[in-house]
Amino acid sequence: MLVTWAYKPRNTLIQRLDPRARLIFTACAMLAVILVWDLRWLLAWLAFALLTYRAARLTWKETRRFWLVVLPLITFLVLITALTGRGGEEAYQTTHPLFTLAIGPWRWVISVEQVVFAAAQFARMLTLATLGLLIPFTIHPAHYGVAFRGLGLNDKFAVATDLAFRLVPSVARDFQTTLDAQRARGYELERKGAGLIRQIRNLAPLIVPVTIQAILNGEDIIDAMDLRAFGAKPRRTWLVELRYRPADYALIALGLLVLGGTLAAKAAGYGAFWVPPALLGG
Amino acid sequence: MAGRSMLKQVLGAVVAATIVLWLANLLTQGDKATGAGWVLYFVGAVLVMAIYLFFAARPIWQVNTREVVMMAIGAVLYGVFSWATNVFQLPSVSFVSLRPAVAIPIFMGLAFGPVVGFFSGLVGNILGDALTGWGVYPVWDLGNGLMGLIPGLLHAWPNADERVRVTKKVLLWVSGLMVLFVVLTVLFPQVEHPWAGTTAGQWTPVLLILLVAILLVAWWALRAQPDVAAAVVWGALGVIVGMGFASIADIWVNGYSVATAIIGEFLPAAGTNLVFDIVLVPILYAAYQNARQRTGR
Repeated sequence: MLVTWAYKPRNTLIQRLDPRARLIFTACAMLAVILVWDLRWLLAWLAFALLTYRAARLTWKETRRFWLVVLPLITFLVLITALTGRGGEEAYQTTHPLFTLAIGPWRWVISVEQVVFAAAQFARMLTLATLGLLIPFTIHPAHYGVAFRGLGLNDKFAVATDLAFRLVPSVARDFQTTLDAQRARGYELERKGAGLIRQIRNLAPLIVPVTIQAILNGEDIIDAMDLRAFGAKPRRTWLVELRYRPADYALIALGLLVLGGTLAAKAAGYGAFWVPPALLGG
Repeated sequence: MAGRSMLKQVLGAVVAATIVLWLANLLTQGDKATGAGWVLYFVGAVLVMAIYLFFAARPIWQVNTREVVMMAIGAVLYGVFSWATNVFQLPSVSFVSLRPAVAIPIFMGLAFGPVVGFFSGLVGNILGDALTGWGVYPVWDLGNGLMGLIPGLLHAWPNADERVRVTKKVLLWVSGLMVLFVVLTVLFPQVEHPWAGTTAGQWTPVLLILLVAILLVAWWALRAQPDVAAAVVWGALGVIVGMGFASIADIWVNGYSVATAIIGEFLPAAGTNLVFDIVLVPILYAAYQNARQRTGR
């Protein structure tokens, strides 16, 4: 049942760092990114994220599936925001019309602020996606549990989180297998002409078998863990031991510094939505 | 249940929710407030701790091997199904997506207890957002965790008669809260920058239909299938509490006004989640009971 992430062992700077330090830094970086709307800051973060991606030496072939899903999704969401101006009201109050987009009977007045906000949103989402992508592809699956334990999580919750990460590819595969099997039996995910309740009930042949099968498979995992005396002692030992090195401390310090600096800058009024003066004609 | 006691329960729910909303409006002076969003993360944690302490004497918080594995499975199922449907956005003021998968944390809480439900909702939401590339939104992660935790509290009453009695009380609270939200959609017909011209008033008939649906399902099921009634009613309470917390928290986290948070975020999120609770949770619960009988586990 277990299918692992597409982890590729490589001797890169990224992979030599302690996974705990990397998780702390990634969390700090993600928080710092979502605190700001200044396009200049977001582009700098995007450049950093792409550099890190390059440093991890991941190839297009290895991550192609991820990008082919995420990039169109981000583009779609950003376009919707750009066309409607929705979501930007928290960042700007006044607008400067740039052009009017007319498609058939629909008309959208696109402002400078909408375009810049869409660019900022795109940079932000792409940065978060890239930073998030690095985790499963560059952390050994056997290190998740011990890393979470090292971050202070209780043994049982660390194992649960570790197991959750390991099971994602397996459940995703079972989801696809079930969908294909149901389609071979004439199942249609979107039934034309069906009402709302009917459409929702139509999801049951997909959600129910995947859920029940996962729970039944979980019983085997429970038996295996019980047979190995899981939970018999209050403190569990781990096969892998993690030790911090100076580079790891430096990375943690950098993450905390970046997050703290961003919070301080935000309190001082920096990092807010910014429109290039050239676009305003000033 | 005596008529006077029933009226007290409904009024109690309405008054409590109104006080919360009035306080929120007072603190924000009816306008946006920013800079204090981080406080809400602590408020959410305190809320979870308060629920735990209230039920601390009940044997529903044990985490053994079964709970550990089911926590992981619940989180993964919710994360994967959420990722598959996050692309379907609802008319709202932020990223509120169509999520039939909310049936998962509600079901996991009902089947395996509040800890499993909470973990499934919290970590599952983190996984789903991470897989989609949206980043981490702690208040919504906590909200989803509460959505799974609340139904699991049903395990605090092992006796079937006690469960029916408590479920009836919860049904009154849920009905009272939904009546309040119907009133709100009438009082606040517009939200700021609505999507494609929709107004809050359009949610009024949806909420009324949901209220009637929940009452009918619960009334019928409490007689014939008390377990199904409990699943739907407690799931509904979980949805209202979880999505309510996350939406109200956005008053401070995102700087929304009270009307925007309630009408623009809570109603789209909770409204659709209630539909999935009514339709999908009973199906999942029945399938699980069947599987247990077949396998003997």
